[in-house]
Amino acid sequence: MSPSAVAQEKKHAPVNMGQHVFGQAPDRFTSVLGSCIGVALYHPRTHTGAFVHVVLPESLGRSGPEGKFADTAIPCLIRLFQQQGIPIREMVAKIAGGASMFNSKGPIQIGEANEAAVREKLAEAKIPILGEHLQGAKGRRVEFDCSTGILRVEIAGQKPVEL
Amino acid sequence: MNTSTSCSTANMERMHHLLASATHEASEAMKRWTNGQVSLTLDAVKETPLECVSEEADLGDELLTMIVLTLDGESGGTLILAFDEENGRDLAAALLNRERSSDPEWSAIEKSALNETGNILGCAYLNALTRFIGVELVPSPPYFIQDFGASVLEQALMEQAMCSETALICQTRFQRNGRELSWDVFFVPSPGMRERLDQAVAREA
Repeated sequence: MSPSAVAQEKKHAPVNMGQHVFGQAPDRFTSVLGSCIGVALYHPRTHTGAFVHVVLPESLGRSGPEGKFADTAIPCLIRLFQQQGIPIREMVAKIAGGASMFNSKGPIQIGEANEAAVREKLAEAKIPILGEHLQGAKGRRVEFDCSTGILRVEIAGQKPVEL
Repeated sequence: MNTSTSCSTANMERMHHLLASATHEASEAMKRWTNGQVSLTLDAVKETPLECVSEEADLGDELLTMIVLTLDGESGGTLILAFDEENGRDLAAALLNRERSSDPEWSAIEKSALNETGNILGCAYLNALTRFIGVELVPSPPYFIQDFGASVLEQALMEQAMCSETALICQTRFQRNGRELSWDVFFVPSPGMRERLDQAVAREA
């Protein structure tokens, strides 16, 4: 795992493109998402959580941090829980992002493909998605709180929502 | 000059020189548009790991007002003109020769003034690049957006992210009547455009 792939600071760490982070209450992780997807995995009993900022749906043999691609990011987060002896069957997921920015014009629109890939990998691992805030045309600022498992989602000009 | 790179330093300096020329043309157009008040210079050309782009660009997670122009095709890219609310409102008021609006909603004419600013700046910049790389670049109409700066830059970086772990971004500094402004322009070339720029740089060498 590339050290740069992991948000180093805990407690209140920003998680940038392709990064992932693992923590426990009272850690909180923040991220700003466009067409990328933020995936929060949570284990309620131990208040343990992980967050990844997924950029693209598939690695297709490309190099890059594990958190960059949905097909490597979800297994990577699961492995971090397993290393702590936390059973997958007790984990839950919340997801946000996947917007189509610039009014669906311009550079490649990857939001929906990201969403589909994340859903597929979570379904394979039998991790239920308890909350989601996806698609649309605007970016999101999210904050994941390991104390509560709440994923707070803010869109410009709208009231924040808690998942 | 602030130039961080994974290319050779010499090539990055040539790239900086090339893009500084394009920025100069954009600056001349900007001066004409603002009666000589606003000018810009290239601040940095950075080759940055994807996960560091937001921090390098100093975007944080603040809400910004942005004008976005995109280039389709093989030599594509995205040009983003970004302001905080105060600076955006100030520019619109100056262009429209009226008091700064306190209405939380941007009026159609304010948006239009900013869109035209993005259009003028973007077209001058891209015209210069057209000459350098020998490919005609026709941008999309300007698109007004209020959003988190990092989310917009993330979208602009998608094509580079598909084939690289780093991104090339060009960052610009603005001045108005000699005073620095909290405005930013980011130019994010697509991989195809990057290749053309590298070729142009190689020809200059």
